[in-house]
Amino acid sequence: MLEVLHSLLFSTLDAAPALVFAALGAMLSERAGVVSVGVEGMMRTGAFCAAVAALVMPTPLAVGVGMAAGAGIAAVHGFLSIRWRSDQVVSGMALNLVAMAGGTYLLESFFGPNGTPSITQLSRWNIPGLSQVPLLGALSGHAAPTYLALTLPFLFHLLLSRTPLGLRLRAVGDKPHAVATLGLSVPALRWGAVLGGGMMAGLGGAVLSTTVLDRFEQHTPSGLGFMALAAMVFGRWTPLGAFAAALFFAAGNALRIGLASSAPWLLDLVPQGFLLALPYLLTLLVLALQGQRGHAPAALGIPFEQESR
Amino acid sequence: MMLRRLHVLALAALLCACSKKSEDAPKAPSQTSTAAKPPEGKPVVVGLVIDVGGRGDHSFNDASLRGLELWAAGKKYEGGRYVDAPAGEVRQSISSDLSALAPEVKPLPVQPLVLQSKAQEDYAPNLQLLVEQGAKLTIGNGYLLANAVRDVATENPEARFLLIDSQLLDAQGKAKSLPNVRTVLFKEQEGSFLVGALAGLVTKTNKVGFVGGIEVPLIKRFDVGYRAGVRTTNAKAADALMAVYTGSFNSVSAGKEVAQDLIAKGADVIFHAAGTDGLGVIQAVKEARAAGKTVFAIGVDSDQSHLAPDAILTSMVKHSDLAVYQAAKDLVEGRFTAGEQVLGLKENGVGMADVRVEFPGKAEALQKVETLRQQVLAGKIAVPGTQAELSSFQVAQP
Repeated sequence: MLEVLHSLLFSTLDAAPALVFAALGAMLSERAGVVSVGVEGMMRTGAFCAAVAALVMPTPLAVGVGMAAGAGIAAVHGFLSIRWRSDQVVSGMALNLVAMAGGTYLLESFFGPNGTPSITQLSRWNIPGLSQVPLLGALSGHAAPTYLALTLPFLFHLLLSRTPLGLRLRAVGDKPHAVATLGLSVPALRWGAVLGGGMMAGLGGAVLSTTVLDRFEQHTPSGLGFMALAAMVFGRWTPLGAFAAALFFAAGNALRIGLASSAPWLLDLVPQGFLLALPYLLTLLVLALQGQRGHAPAALGIPFEQESR
Repeated sequence: MMLRRLHVLALAALLCACSKKSEDAPKAPSQTSTAAKPPEGKPVVVGLVIDVGGRGDHSFNDASLRGLELWAAGKKYEGGRYVDAPAGEVRQSISSDLSALAPEVKPLPVQPLVLQSKAQEDYAPNLQLLVEQGAKLTIGNGYLLANAVRDVATENPEARFLLIDSQLLDAQGKAKSLPNVRTVLFKEQEGSFLVGALAGLVTKTNKVGFVGGIEVPLIKRFDVGYRAGVRTTNAKAADALMAVYTGSFNSVSAGKEVAQDLIAKGADVIFHAAGTDGLGVIQAVKEARAAGKTVFAIGVDSDQSHLAPDAILTSMVKHSDLAVYQAAKDLVEGRFTAGEQVLGLKENGVGMADVRVEFPGKAEALQKVETLRQQVLAGKIAVPGTQAELSSFQVAQP
């Protein structure tokens, strides 16, 4: 039993980081009032650039390149939605399509369709002593992103709820005109959030190609960006909520895999399809029990115009 | 809309990349079945639509692409265009279980035209586009394209089609046939039986695993055949066999997570039939080996040994490459016939790739698997292909 729980926990912690980072990124951008449908595309860009960079530099540095690339493509979204006040959902979807097609195109023209050559993965850390402890041992043996994913949400929480900058970011998503009245720049704050969000999404993508796999594979991130958006909404646009939701998704998924392998007799009773739907059924259940209205920022998706009321 | 436009662009790029010979290719499809071999310099256009798994899956799509591009046309796709493949490469790409055929694979006057599909809705438009581009033979790769091939073939009775991995089904789901469509099915269970038998002999923990993609009858044949094979050589491992489906064919991380779970629970040989998800399975096995565990993966469809030479025990190869090559050859020689083909071990439809890794007792294990292979070939073992057949499957006593 303990072993089953151990592998459930280990598998959750191993699979969650990309989702956590992307959900945090989307949350940051949306709290400042800019819709972030383009996370999927930002992740893909981050994943591709990190894998390519890792061919010529140490992998940790390459992850940084992936983050920068995520921010770079988020800047396009920033220009469209902040500078030119275009529809933010359309801009985000366009970003996804460009990243999808562009990633495949670049991959095929530079490396052939079989993916980039293998790179060195981020190394895994075995924490001495901890790995012997039952259950807690599942905390040992992960790569750096896992530990980062366990701490960043709390830092984001402190940033948003305990610092003046956090107050301003939240205000710019709810009542941008109030922020402008105080003499602060709404565009500057939103730019910061969009670029920061892009960096986080890029980090999520980079994790996929440097930890989960050891190269860029052409389907990356195969829908994970949309899962991240769901985690953000599920977590009510808060860092800790998004974190919990991302862990919940990862755990639900690990649970259905664990059930299928540990309790094969279960498959005689319920079809595999039911197990595959399990994470989503759990989500529906929690949402139904949660039973409250959404907590979306009030000015989400509304371009800021100084002159409007 | 956007996607469709991108496809047209992609096609335009492809057409530019082709030599201008393809533009001279006769547009009117040949009506006579005894047409002479087309003269050199006027290659026949053969179209191929691959499913959403895409190019570069190292597996099913790549096998069919190999049959068309490398074997039939003698070309390889590099940097977005076709270049002539070095002679040695064709020979090298023919997996060893087909080595007797090697002299037969020679380049044909064929011009490949390949379209990738990004979504299920793309299948029918892509097939139609290839017909309109003058493809004499259009190949639909994968069961996902069955309905699209049926519809496009009905509307274009003068064009010819090859459908891999599925029968034609009418709207009620009943099998049907069309006079211009050849369908090819494989007895995946027979190849899976052999790798299962080997897995049963190799496992030290007496626990083996299977990772499937989407649970459809096609993937079930791999699952069931594998179970029958394991049961034949290692009853204990068959009882403890763990089979998990990922529910997709294009998510590396899903495959990796499933395999990690199986390895954590003691499986030391894992067979996958999960398309791109399988790359995650192989990755998980590679990482477990790096962490000091003795674990093997068994590849699928193509010989996947090159992905992780130490970690891949063998591969269950499925020769859609040969089926595609054969259809192109038949077309060029004017012998293309419609109808249904079912290719098993005997017909070189499936097989087991070379075992390149070392393990204790390798020679006897391979000997045993070879004996079983002979028994399947001789019809002494009827490998089950469905759950019901598996329940009544009796292990033959040597």
